[in-house]
Amino acid sequence: MIKIPPLKKTYSSRTVLDFPGTDLEKGRIYAVIGSNGSGKSTFAKILSGMIKDDDKQKLFKDIAVGYMPQRNYSFRMSVVRNILLGGKDPSLANELMERLKISHLKDKRAKSLSGGETARMALARLMMGKYDIVILDEPTSAMDMESSLLTEELIKEYVKNTNCALILITHSLQQAKRIADDVLFFHKGSLLEYGSAEKVLYEPENAETKKFLEFYGS
Amino acid sequence: MKTSILKAIELILSMDAELIDILSVTAKMSIQSSLIALLIGLPIGIILGGYEFPGKNILLILNRTLMGTPPVVCGLIFYMLFSGVGPFRHLKLLFTVEIMVLAQVFLITPIIIGNVESFISTIAPNVKETAKGLGFSHIKTLFLIINESVYQIFSAYLLAFSRSIAEVGAVSMVGGAISWKTNVMTTAIMQYTNRGNFTLGVALGMILLSVSLIVNIIISIMQRRLSK
Repeated sequence: MIKIPPLKKTYSSRTVLDFPGTDLEKGRIYAVIGSNGSGKSTFAKILSGMIKDDDKQKLFKDIAVGYMPQRNYSFRMSVVRNILLGGKDPSLANELMERLKISHLKDKRAKSLSGGETARMALARLMMGKYDIVILDEPTSAMDMESSLLTEELIKEYVKNTNCALILITHSLQQAKRIADDVLFFHKGSLLEYGSAEKVLYEPENAETKKFLEFYGS
Repeated sequence: MKTSILKAIELILSMDAELIDILSVTAKMSIQSSLIALLIGLPIGIILGGYEFPGKNILLILNRTLMGTPPVVCGLIFYMLFSGVGPFRHLKLLFTVEIMVLAQVFLITPIIIGNVESFISTIAPNVKETAKGLGFSHIKTLFLIINESVYQIFSAYLLAFSRSIAEVGAVSMVGGAISWKTNVMTTAIMQYTNRGNFTLGVALGMILLSVSLIVNIIISIMQRRLSK
């Protein structure tokens, strides 16, 4: 179990996140859903250490956190060298490129890739490492359906193999239904509903969650 | 005019001793000053572009002001500091290549800082976010930022070098444009033109323009590579 303490973030007296705290179980996928401005990305950024919460607390001690931001950066080098920045195992890099169907791009300059290809490269780069918590901020938003499905399969395998707790920030309810074990629903900076994917996505209790699911699920 | 150009080419091809001396003093001053400016300006530019700290904006404004320092003002300051009544008179540096290098460092270091800072501030947030997400150390992140900026750093260096080689106001004041000692291309052009000796002036002008052309071609290639 990994304990996440209560988190609060305010910008000039406007609360953008008020999270009550929870425990994460290793080997599970947590989908974080909610509309724009609900606090999903702030939650991800605080957990990954990119920004501090109001108490400026150091969240994790001796816990490795991997984070893939929404805007993926391509370093000025080839695709394979970018991926090898994440870890030193060339055979794993080749396997990940094969699985994500970017092997043919391995020697290309990473800066010349399309948005979807860059996202796949960034995911492979992250998956070269082992972490206790992995946070993916909309990893498939730039990908087509086929690449998204491939990526989801790989994410599931990665969680199983590395036994990490994976937090997936997503706009896609379908994606949450396909791979999440648990779902956290954020609304206006607050966690309104949290539970198993079946419960939150199919039998929500909160009125806001129902409204959100009806709107985005249709 | 035509005769002057032909004579100038003849002078260059004949490797005239005075011309060679002027070129070597110019090269010594420009290369030394631009390298020292790079050593000072690069770390400052990286810190200003890549990190947030109190007082950063004041330093940026100060640097932008220094980028526009008129060379004659710089020359005047160094002249006063190192002349017979200045606090550093005992160093006896006035009218030497060394003080010309110092004045040039003062003029071109802000150019390197400004250019490096400007580029790094655009890439650093994304590089740092990605690097932190992968669990990289601060040192590894710094190396990645430098690696990402290598063409821009070289381009900033060349800009500073070309400013140094073409500068006349400060070097003539503190160097005194002494033949066979502190005369550089720009001061020599002025001197020989004033004396009515256009041949050497035109020869030096042609060399100066050629150097400027080469530097600009390199910068242009760098920028094209950078945009890929």
